[in-house]
Amino acid sequence: MSIFQIRPNYSSLARCAPITEKPGTDRAMRVAIQRARRGKKAAPFAQQQAFDAALAKLVRAIPVDAQVAEWFANESLIPLVKHGWKKILLNPVVVAIALAIAVIGGVFAYRVHEHLHDFPGADKARRLLAVAASTRSVLLDPLKTDAGALSDLFFMKYRLEHYDVPPEFADFKALGSRVFDDDEVHHVAQIWAVEKRMQFFLFPAEKDPKDGSVTDFSDWRFVELEGWTGAVQQQNGVCFMAVIRGREKDLVPYLEKRKP
Amino acid sequence: MTGDASKAQEAFQETVREAALRSARDEAPPDRLWYFRDARWRCVAACEEGLQAEPGMLEETEISPSAPVQIEQLHPDQLAVWISAAPEPQRSALALFYLDEFSLREMLALLDVKAAELSELISSGRRQFQAWLDATTPHYEA
Repeated sequence: MSIFQIRPNYSSLARCAPITEKPGTDRAMRVAIQRARRGKKAAPFAQQQAFDAALAKLVRAIPVDAQVAEWFANESLIPLVKHGWKKILLNPVVVAIALAIAVIGGVFAYRVHEHLHDFPGADKARRLLAVAASTRSVLLDPLKTDAGALSDLFFMKYRLEHYDVPPEFADFKALGSRVFDDDEVHHVAQIWAVEKRMQFFLFPAEKDPKDGSVTDFSDWRFVELEGWTGAVQQQNGVCFMAVIRGREKDLVPYLEKRKP
Repeated sequence: MTGDASKAQEAFQETVREAALRSARDEAPPDRLWYFRDARWRCVAACEEGLQAEPGMLEETEISPSAPVQIEQLHPDQLAVWISAAPEPQRSALALFYLDEFSLREMLALLDVKAAELSELISSGRRQFQAWLDATTPHYEA
């Protein structure tokens, strides 16, 4: 903020107008000088300037002690202050900027890490993790069978081809299932398993936007969202996702022990 | 500021010594204003021992068009003595202003006053000096 008030008193400022023009003169002062030169008080202002110039000339003529003059001529009286690294680093402005950069960098790194192992369909999988978090078992049609047996049900009843539960989870007892249409994911089959209150999702794989092709992957890929983790595998253009409330390490044992 | 060269020299040397001591302690003065601020207070302290002028005691006259001619007739020492006799903070304000070395912002920082206050100190100083000029070196129109 300016050293002057919001609405500066220009006539007051003009009374202490600089004797010689200086490059760093404040804008308010420049305006005050212009007004004083052009207004009704132009003559008194000119007298004031002449008065000040004459006095400044006399001040410059005040004799300076020879010893002092010699000091000024030979000595560097005002040494340049060397700002050490410590001082610079402890400067509040520098600390604030460093903190801001660290936070932005942290968020950026987190986002990069989050999407580092992303695969086609990862966004759909995350969307279904949110569905899993909000689903109650009563919403599903109750049944008592193995999860693997539901592939036929999906095909026969809903014409969903290749909606197969992988062998790792095929023997898991299912409590209920449903099929629903999601705006983005489209035809989704959801199974509620007894084991660890796991949920399985089967949904169409993401197509390549350029050529419409689908690249399957047989390894397990993981997505996480707000404490929920999903292990995704893609076969025959259909993704299977096993969801658990927990971390990746909670799912890994199920994926390993079922390997042939 | 002091009206006495020896007092001024002493204040100057004390300021330089203080700056050197600070530099030795790795606390060098941050900027050139520090020197003027320190020297100002040393000068004020040195003058406190003598008689002090009181504000509002001097006669005032509007600036005359012939003021520059009147000022030309003065000896620099006369001006120095007149300024040193002014009350604080007017004395410091006049000294800093007529040194013509500082921006308004710097003067306000050095004197620790507001812009309107500085303006009043300087303009009343002008009128008082004009009154003194009229009394000591009257100018008669040819």
